[in-house]
Amino acid sequence: MMGSPLTLTVAFQIGPVAITTPVLATWAIMVVLAVGSCLLTRHMSLHPSTRQAALEVVVEAIEAQIRDTMRVEPAPYVPLIGTLFLFIFAANWSSLVPGVEPPTAHLETDAALALIVFFAVIWFGVRSRGLRGYFATFAEPSILMVPLNIVETMTRTFSLVVRLFGNVMSGVFVVGIVLSLVGLLVPVPLMALDLLTGAVQAYIFSVLAMVFIAGVLGEPKPEKEK
Amino acid sequence: MHFDWSTLILQTVNVLVLLWLLRRFLFRPVVAIIAERKNTAEKLLTDAASKMQSAQTQAEQTALHEKALASDGDRILADARASAQTERTTTLDAARLEADKMRAAAQAELETQRNQMRLDLDSQARQLAVAIASRLLGRVPRSAVDAALLEALDTTWSPDQWNGLAAAGETLEVVTASPLEAAMQAACTTMIQKRLGCSVQFATDPSLIAGVELRGPHARLHNNWRADLDSIAEELSHDDKTIVMA
Repeated sequence: MMGSPLTLTVAFQIGPVAITTPVLATWAIMVVLAVGSCLLTRHMSLHPSTRQAALEVVVEAIEAQIRDTMRVEPAPYVPLIGTLFLFIFAANWSSLVPGVEPPTAHLETDAALALIVFFAVIWFGVRSRGLRGYFATFAEPSILMVPLNIVETMTRTFSLVVRLFGNVMSGVFVVGIVLSLVGLLVPVPLMALDLLTGAVQAYIFSVLAMVFIAGVLGEPKPEKEK
Repeated sequence: MHFDWSTLILQTVNVLVLLWLLRRFLFRPVVAIIAERKNTAEKLLTDAASKMQSAQTQAEQTALHEKALASDGDRILADARASAQTERTTTLDAARLEADKMRAAAQAELETQRNQMRLDLDSQARQLAVAIASRLLGRVPRSAVDAALLEALDTTWSPDQWNGLAAAGETLEVVTASPLEAAMQAACTTMIQKRLGCSVQFATDPSLIAGVELRGPHARLHNNWRADLDSIAEELSHDDKTIVMA
C-alpha cells in the first residue's frame, strides 16, 4: 500500500542526510537506464541489429523533435532533452512496478527537474548570446518589461513543477483511492490512463524545456538542407 | 505538506548524474554511430559518383579511342589500297614496258632475220642470176666478144681514166677471158703504147666471162661481163637495202 505523495518516507539515513523513497526510486531508475544504455550500446556497428536500430530510432526521434521545435542543430541539446524525457517517462511508468511510487509524484523531484531546466536556460542563453546579450533579453521588447520577464522566468519554471507534480500526483492519488475502495482489477483502466498521462507529461515537460531554451537562443540559424 | 530540501538537492544531483551517464553511455555512442554511418554513406555516394564520373570519362575515352582506331584502320586500309594500286600500276607498267621491250626486241630480231634471209635470198638470187647470165653468155664465142670489147677500149674510157692507169715505163697488164690472137694482141699493144707509152703484157682470166680488164700499177679499168654483172648485182643489192630501210 502506497503512502501519500504529499509526504516523504525516509528509507534510511546516511549521517545527517535522510534518504527518502523518491531518491531510492530515482537511483533504481538511474541504474536501469545507465546499465540498459551500456548493454544496448555495447556492440554498435554500421550494420545495425534490430536492437540498435530501435535505439537509433529513439535518438533520431529526439533529434527530430528538437530540430522541429527549436529550429537549431540538435546535437548540443540532445543529452539534456533526452535525459529529461527518458527519466520522466521512466519515473512516471515506474508505478507499474508494485510498491514503487513514481519519484515525479513528489514535489522535490519535479522541482529538481525544473531547477535544472531553469539553469540550463541560463547556460544556453549565455552561451548563445553572451552574458550581456542574455540579460538584454529581459528588456525585450521594452525596458519596462524587465520585471514582468523576470517574473515570467520564475513562474514558468514554477509552472513546470506544478504541472508535472499535479498530473502525476493526482494519478497516484486516484489509483490509490480507487484501489482502497474497490476490487483489485478496477483501477487497471485508471492505471492505463495514468501511464498515458505519464508519457504525455514527459513529452510536454521536454517540449517546454526546448521552448524555454529556444526562447533565449540567438537568431535562429537557417536549417541545414538534408 | 512538507518540502524536503535535502531530497531536492539529492534529486538534482541524481538527475545531473543521470544526464552525464546517459550522455556518456547512450547519446554519444548512438549519435556517433549515426554520424559515422552518415559519413560512410556520403563517402560511398561520393566514391560512387567519382567512380561513375571516372567510368563515364573512361567510356568517352574508349569511344574516342575506338573512333581513332577506326579512323586509323580506314586510313591504313586506304593507304594499303593506294599502295597496292600504285604497285599494281607500277608492276603493270613495268610488265608492259618489259613486254614492249621484248616484243620490240623480238620484232627487231625477226626483222633482222627477215632482212638477213632476204639478203641471203637476194644474194643467192644474184648469184643464181649471175650464174645463169654466165652460163648464157658462155655460149657466146668469147674471142669475138673479147675482140669487140678490146676494140671499143679506145672509146670506152675518157682520157683521164686512161692517164690514171700507168705512166710511161711502167707495165700495164691486159687480162681477157680467153687468150687473144697474136694480131689482136699486136693491135692492142700498139693502141696502148700510143696512148700511155708503157709496156704491155697479156693474161687470161676465165672468170671475166667475156671482155677485158686493164690492170695498172695505180688503177684498174674494167670492160668485161663479170664487172658488169657485179655492178648489176651491186645495184640490185643497193636497191634492196633502200627498200628494206624504207
